[in-house]
Amino acid sequence: MQALTIPANLDALEPIGQYVLEAATQAGLERKAAYRLRLAVDEIVTNIIVHGYNEVGLEGDVVMRADLNADALTIIVEDTAQPFDPRVRPDPANLDRPLEERDIGGLGVFLAIKGVDEFDYEYANGYNRNSFVMHRPAQG
Amino acid sequence: MAFTATLEVKNEVAFVTITGELDASVAPQFRTQIEAAAAQHVKRLVLRMDDLSYMASAGLRSLVFAKQKMGSGVDIFMVAVQEPVAETIKMTGFDNSVIMVPSYDEANPPSA
Repeated sequence: MQALTIPANLDALEPIGQYVLEAATQAGLERKAAYRLRLAVDEIVTNIIVHGYNEVGLEGDVVMRADLNADALTIIVEDTAQPFDPRVRPDPANLDRPLEERDIGGLGVFLAIKGVDEFDYEYANGYNRNSFVMHRPAQG
Repeated sequence: MAFTATLEVKNEVAFVTITGELDASVAPQFRTQIEAAAAQHVKRLVLRMDDLSYMASAGLRSLVFAKQKMGSGVDIFMVAVQEPVAETIKMTGFDNSVIMVPSYDEANPPSA
């Protein structure tokens, strides 16, 4: 699949979702796995757009890539916002507390990291690079 | 995102039907309906979700918003939640705060 370069605003979420679902289809992922992958990417990209760009008055692009090999599909998201490693956010506490007591920060990152088989982050050459790996079902 | 949120209030119960895909870009539309329901001082919020195929954490945040706007005494029912959406709700523990039911008969409503 071609890479997708898209301006970092919330309108990007739909084309990015379609991009990930298309990659998942090409990889032969099962429906649930495709859903979790799409959700994971959505959550991280939403944070990038909102916290990395919009809230700090930055503009820029998000670049999506899909890497398919025999064993796995990897979605790579690159952006030029401030360095931010999603893994340093602690899991949201109080998962079993009533709604009014919930601490809702970190929910998106929690869903993202829990939903994929492997998640990786690095910052290099001025880019944040988030990678999402889903193992492919055994080919028949 | 193809998303709709529509509100009907009957007998102090707010019925909000949400369809399509709920993410951060469209969550404000959902919150608008919640605010409209809260302004009518409803006693219960019923979310009809049989045509909602996708929900990101923005949807969960909207539930917290609903409780804040409507008061913690207002029960939130979620009707006919699709499986992947239900999985997200359970994974994040939000099933402790809402009542998920397969159907909602207005003539014979479930108790909280």
